[in-house]
Amino acid sequence: MFVYMGAFSLMALLRYSDVAEWSSFLSQPYLWRLVRFSLWQALLSSLLSLVIAVPVASCLFHRSFWGRSFLLQLFSVSMVVPSIVAILGIVVVYGRTGWLAQISGIEFPLYGVTGILLAHVFFNMPLAVRLLLQAYALIPTGQWRQAYQLGFDRWSAFRFIEWSYLRKALPGAFVLIFMLCFSSFAVVLSLGGGPKSSTLEVAIYQALRFDFDLNKASFLALLQVLICTVIALFVYKLAPVNHQDSSLLTQSRFPIRDSYGAKCLDVIAFLCVLVFVLPPFIAIFDPMFSTQFLHTLSSLRLWLAVLVSLKIAFPAAFISLLLGLSFCVLARYCMGRGKLNIWSTKLEQLGNLILMVPGLVIATGLFLWLRDLGLSFSSSYWIVVWVNAVMALPFVLRCMMPCFYQQERRFRHLYSSLGVQAWSRCKIEWPLVRSSVAQAFAFALLLSLGDMGVIALFGSQGMVSLPLYLFQLIGAYRLEEGACVAVVLILLCLGLYVLFSRVVGGRWHAQG
Amino acid sequence: MLKVDLKYDWERFHAHYQVQIDQGITTLLGASGEGKSTLLHLLGGFLQGHGVLDYQSESLLALPAYQRPISTLFQSDNLFPQLTVWQNVAIGLSPHLRLNEEQCERVAWALEQTQLAAKADAYPQALSGGQAQRVAIARVLVRKKPILLLDEPFSALDPALREEMLFLVKQVTETFSLTTLLVSHLPSDALLVGGRVILIEQGQVVAHEASDVLASKQTPIAFTQYLGESKSSTS
Repeated sequence: MFVYMGAFSLMALLRYSDVAEWSSFLSQPYLWRLVRFSLWQALLSSLLSLVIAVPVASCLFHRSFWGRSFLLQLFSVSMVVPSIVAILGIVVVYGRTGWLAQISGIEFPLYGVTGILLAHVFFNMPLAVRLLLQAYALIPTGQWRQAYQLGFDRWSAFRFIEWSYLRKALPGAFVLIFMLCFSSFAVVLSLGGGPKSSTLEVAIYQALRFDFDLNKASFLALLQVLICTVIALFVYKLAPVNHQDSSLLTQSRFPIRDSYGAKCLDVIAFLCVLVFVLPPFIAIFDPMFSTQFLHTLSSLRLWLAVLVSLKIAFPAAFISLLLGLSFCVLARYCMGRGKLNIWSTKLEQLGNLILMVPGLVIATGLFLWLRDLGLSFSSSYWIVVWVNAVMALPFVLRCMMPCFYQQERRFRHLYSSLGVQAWSRCKIEWPLVRSSVAQAFAFALLLSLGDMGVIALFGSQGMVSLPLYLFQLIGAYRLEEGACVAVVLILLCLGLYVLFSRVVGGRWHAQG
Repeated sequence: MLKVDLKYDWERFHAHYQVQIDQGITTLLGASGEGKSTLLHLLGGFLQGHGVLDYQSESLLALPAYQRPISTLFQSDNLFPQLTVWQNVAIGLSPHLRLNEEQCERVAWALEQTQLAAKADAYPQALSGGQAQRVAIARVLVRKKPILLLDEPFSALDPALREEMLFLVKQVTETFSLTTLLVSHLPSDALLVGGRVILIEQGQVVAHEASDVLASKQTPIAFTQYLGESKSSTS
């Protein structure tokens, strides 16, 4: 159904477009600069994220140190920290009057490419680390046992064991991060610093919000989808197939031979983490101890915004989870049933396709479509909910797919021989899939809670969510108040995340 | 001589192995779940026990697996699927795969010994089960460790092939004067390779005899229960 929705929204956009005028867009140098910059920053961000993530993942896998599980949890949270909050944190640390400038006296050129890169690495390096750790989990214990027996040092282990598994995971991770950076909105809008470094997604927003030029917006949207598709196809063609079959059992570890060089590298990797991930986090929580904080807490607008945010996030996460579940079950049903078999991967790819279609475009198309159907503007609430749900779908799928697939692969014959079907099967599977479902719900919830793009387009007087409120405060240079609101937002996020991944997810597995 | 007096506890399994193992082949027998592999893992350094583990009067207990004078062959996962046969053998000499001329010759010699010279550039996926285990034995040969531990490495092979491999192990043990420990669940294996036999029950060594007692008319009392059903099937 949602595929139809997406198609309709694109079509609605196209109806307002004028193909004849497109050729004139193509000849504009501004457009080409946009495309070039979008590609360039996405490429740099994703490469940088991956280059840092590889040693960090290796370090986290091999060493157990104090705070390791805390760091892993921090990584899983930093993926879904509302972008606007993270941006605020980065500004506090690296900004003109930020900590870095105060301590060292160096003025860091935050606005522009460096700022964008910094923010993107902050968001995506932890994501990359988690993806790579998933790849590490696929390495059979036997290989580590053998490496231990033969006295491999870290470099040999990396070269002969880890690399051949990472190689399969890297292209997928690259595409994912590239897409996220390519269509990054809030980061570029607030740290881009002018038209010189602007991306297609921001241009779409500007065309829609300020010029209400549907023609241009639809053209830009199509261009973005096209570029993403080409890149995704290209990388997937080159990439070896990745068989996801992560083991649910905790593996026994064997201590690989340590060396001085390996220690040094690990320390460097760790320092990278300290530089990129930790300071903004600390900066975000800093204002909690100021007097302004209590003052902000008593403001009515804040609590209204919290209410609006929750009213959007919960239905959105719920819809997203339902969509994701039906995707999983469908894909699983198709798996291994003769001709239907190819559909299982197709469906998964379809879910990931959403990353390519800019959320703003879906939202606008949907809005236009609903307007044509005669529904009034008051239903913009549901548009926001719906688009948020769809946007969270790739992440939901990523959380649930491997677990559901594994269940199918291992127990299918057992289930079918015992005649366990439908509801009774759900009941038997629940304890096993529970944690990943809860994780998926928590992710969807946090993503909708932190959403800036859709709400920025549709937010009106009556509908100001927490991130939008924060954005308005920053826009009005009320930074201190904004920082306090950010604390509220992130506490809300963390609270809900912990609540859902622990309470609904049952026992907490701190897995890589 | 390998002197073992090791304790190991895991949940409700409490093992205490006390035995002295001489040069030559010794077969470890016992029903599944009685702790044969556990003993091998303790010796190999893949599990940490406490007590005494001496080889030639030197304690091995504090050493990590790669510094012990031991090569272990497992039931599976002995080879790296991403490396060729040659690399899989060579990596036993240098974890960085940087070999000098003499070491290269040794790899070539080991591949000759195991009749794998023609397969040097193949990947493990292209090998049969027997060939794959022969590659692992070639690696044992180049590593020149005096103790060889075998954790049912041939249990997935056909009877004929299995016999052939056991014969290879016996030959290697005799030629290089190794101390070899072979875990098996078939008493016929012990008869085939000769040497001594150890029976393990509930984490303890309950008998340590020459292997031909298994074939004699009067099997020691410790073995009768274990052999009860298997003797009727093998004889």
